[in-house]
Amino acid sequence: MRQFASRYESVRSVAVKRLLGRVGFATVVLLAAAQTADAHIVASRLGDFYAGALHPLTDLQDGVLWTALGLLAGSLGATHGRWLVLVLPPGLLLGLSVGLSVGSTWIAPLASAAMMVVLGLLVALGLRINVAALCVIALVLAFMRGVVNAGGAGAATDRVLFGAGLAMCGYAFIALITALTIAFRRLDAQPSGTWRDIAIRACGSWITAIGLIAGGFALAS
Amino acid sequence: MVRRLALAALLLLATAVVAPQIRAHEASLGVLEFREVRPGAFIGRWTMEPAIGASRVDLHVPGHCFLRMPQLICGDKGLVGPITITNLGVNMSAVLLKIIPMTGASRSYTITTASPVVSVLAAGTPTLQSWIELAGTYVNYGIDHILLGADHLLFVLGLIWIVRSGWRLAKTITAFTLGHSISLAAAAFGLIGIPERPLNACIALSIVFVAVEIVKQRRGEVGLTARYPWAVAGAFGLVHGIGFASALAGLGLERRLLPGALLFFNVGVEIGQLAFVLLILALMWAHRRLNAVLPRWGDLLPAYAIGSIAMFWFIGRLVRVLGVT
Amino acid sequence: MTQNVRVTTPHAPATRRPRLPRSALLPGLLAMAETAFAHEQQGVPAGLASGFLHPLTGLDHLAAMVAVGLWGAQLGAPAIWILPITFPLVMAVGGVLGVLGIGLPIPEIVIALSALVLGGAVAARLRLPFAIAAVVVGVFAIFHGHAHGAELPKSADPLAYGVGFVVATGLLHLCGISIGTLSRSPAGGRLIQGLGASIAVLGCYFLMRSFGGPS
Repeated sequence: MRQFASRYESVRSVAVKRLLGRVGFATVVLLAAAQTADAHIVASRLGDFYAGALHPLTDLQDGVLWTALGLLAGSLGATHGRWLVLVLPPGLLLGLSVGLSVGSTWIAPLASAAMMVVLGLLVALGLRINVAALCVIALVLAFMRGVVNAGGAGAATDRVLFGAGLAMCGYAFIALITALTIAFRRLDAQPSGTWRDIAIRACGSWITAIGLIAGGFALAS
Repeated sequence: MVRRLALAALLLLATAVVAPQIRAHEASLGVLEFREVRPGAFIGRWTMEPAIGASRVDLHVPGHCFLRMPQLICGDKGLVGPITITNLGVNMSAVLLKIIPMTGASRSYTITTASPVVSVLAAGTPTLQSWIELAGTYVNYGIDHILLGADHLLFVLGLIWIVRSGWRLAKTITAFTLGHSISLAAAAFGLIGIPERPLNACIALSIVFVAVEIVKQRRGEVGLTARYPWAVAGAFGLVHGIGFASALAGLGLERRLLPGALLFFNVGVEIGQLAFVLLILALMWAHRRLNAVLPRWGDLLPAYAIGSIAMFWFIGRLVRVLGVT
Repeated sequence: MTQNVRVTTPHAPATRRPRLPRSALLPGLLAMAETAFAHEQQGVPAGLASGFLHPLTGLDHLAAMVAVGLWGAQLGAPAIWILPITFPLVMAVGGVLGVLGIGLPIPEIVIALSALVLGGAVAARLRLPFAIAAVVVGVFAIFHGHAHGAELPKSADPLAYGVGFVVATGLLHLCGISIGTLSRSPAGGRLIQGLGASIAVLGCYFLMRSFGGPS
């Protein structure tokens, strides 16, 4: 029995190490992308596809919101989470096309702050919402972000390429964050209610806090 | 069979809409040449005008120089110091500057938004500073080239799709890298020369080949790529490398800097390729974890998509080879 | 290097609160701040760095955050896991009040008191009922958040500042909680009580200063 326990421990520690490696790798990739993602440099250097792909990473709005959505989807499990891969990119494209035709300034910063608070609270409270609700939230969020990101496309930008880049970025981001969250929770190996769930819920509360501060700023200015 | 044909036709139609948007190699480049006519005095000429027009380029020369196109007067100090273009942007991504002195070899500099200021060096042995500049310029250029080269990326994607992961994938990607490094070097030093248009058609055909191999593999046949992925990757790597070389040749390099530029360009290409491979692998892992895989009827969809896009390119490039347009 | 660190908090009146000496900061943080400022970056990196460093450079804030983590670990479940989830929220509410310019009474004294009370609770291994402990910590959280909110810079990217700020505060809690897990062993428990006592002494010093005016 004891031997079994120690073996289990060692397997677990290897898995934890591997997971930490993955999380670290993903973080480094995202940070590196964010560091180099100066919208103007990218726009002129690598063409409109990359302008669209890296525009969401130039400020933290999309990063924080999509991370929150990925955490929510991941904490609900793979059967819920995988729908986002299908829902988010079309939502972004829809928002982008609306934003390109009617302008992108009508989405107030307060709205994205409120979205952060809502998503963060859902994660922090550990509420189990159903697939339809998750998809509706994702669609609303994607639409909002699509509209806002339309501001990154100039008059000379190729809109098809810009949209393809944006959708690609949203897809890759949400797939990676959701999968990382699911891998982190390890539902298959442990009963729920472990420190891993608490860590994810703590992340949710951090996002809510960020949303509150951002909302305060939006109200103050 | 009818359904499969319909699927292929649909994809072809879709790619016909999308593919013209993906311009694999074109960049809005300008080439400006300064030829020294007497000591310290140059005549400037645009050998390739940028899309926005030569008159609208906001060129700044070192303080002791005086520029009024086409004349550039620098006096006794000569053309030494920083040169910059302030209005690089979407329409003009890079400008290549060629300086042809009265004595000695000509020199080339690339001004991009990533490195908008180039320091023109006095003629003579290259210093550490000039090596760093060279490295910065050409690593960036290599990264740009591979990330913008949708055809190269599509080929790598096809390889990953066949080999999937693990040690075999590492060997395959290494073989591709080796192949294109060898032919890039050979072509850059002028050992081999292949006209660009047929070459581009060949590159497109290589992707079609890989797509066909994926379809074969899914049907349970063991194709050439599945058996010897490294051999296929290496062989086609040779073809793609010549393609890289033609992009490098467009920059007009000084002979003594060629080995360095070649090295840094290749390093840039490898950085971009590695980033792409890691991203694809990460996404494949994410899809397995999410259990979000294509349904059985869509299993061949990616292969048909890759193949259709590549075939579209091939036909387009073949038309150009035959000189129809 | 000193200059670089000061750049992070240009908005903070120099005499308002004692700042942690540079030598006491983690070298890694400095490296981060330095890379962020070496290129005179604006916007997101600057906002992230200044937000991240802000909670770490105020010694009173730092001490109180660590004390919260220590106390939570001493109290055990459920405090140890409710704490990291709710504390950032309550603090952000205080931060919003600060940003909006809604004043709180005697903020200086309450913040100084927080280090004294929380440090004292850790030193005494005070076992309050969970609800009362939560209210005590919550009140202090609002005041700490308020102080930071009132000081938020106008120049840097606000969202990046918020992200850096919340992450740094959360990490401070984690530090406190992981040090606090030492309290399972008797010697470790003694050590933590000592730590709590020194935080309380620091709190005394801050309290005296806030009564005696800026020195």
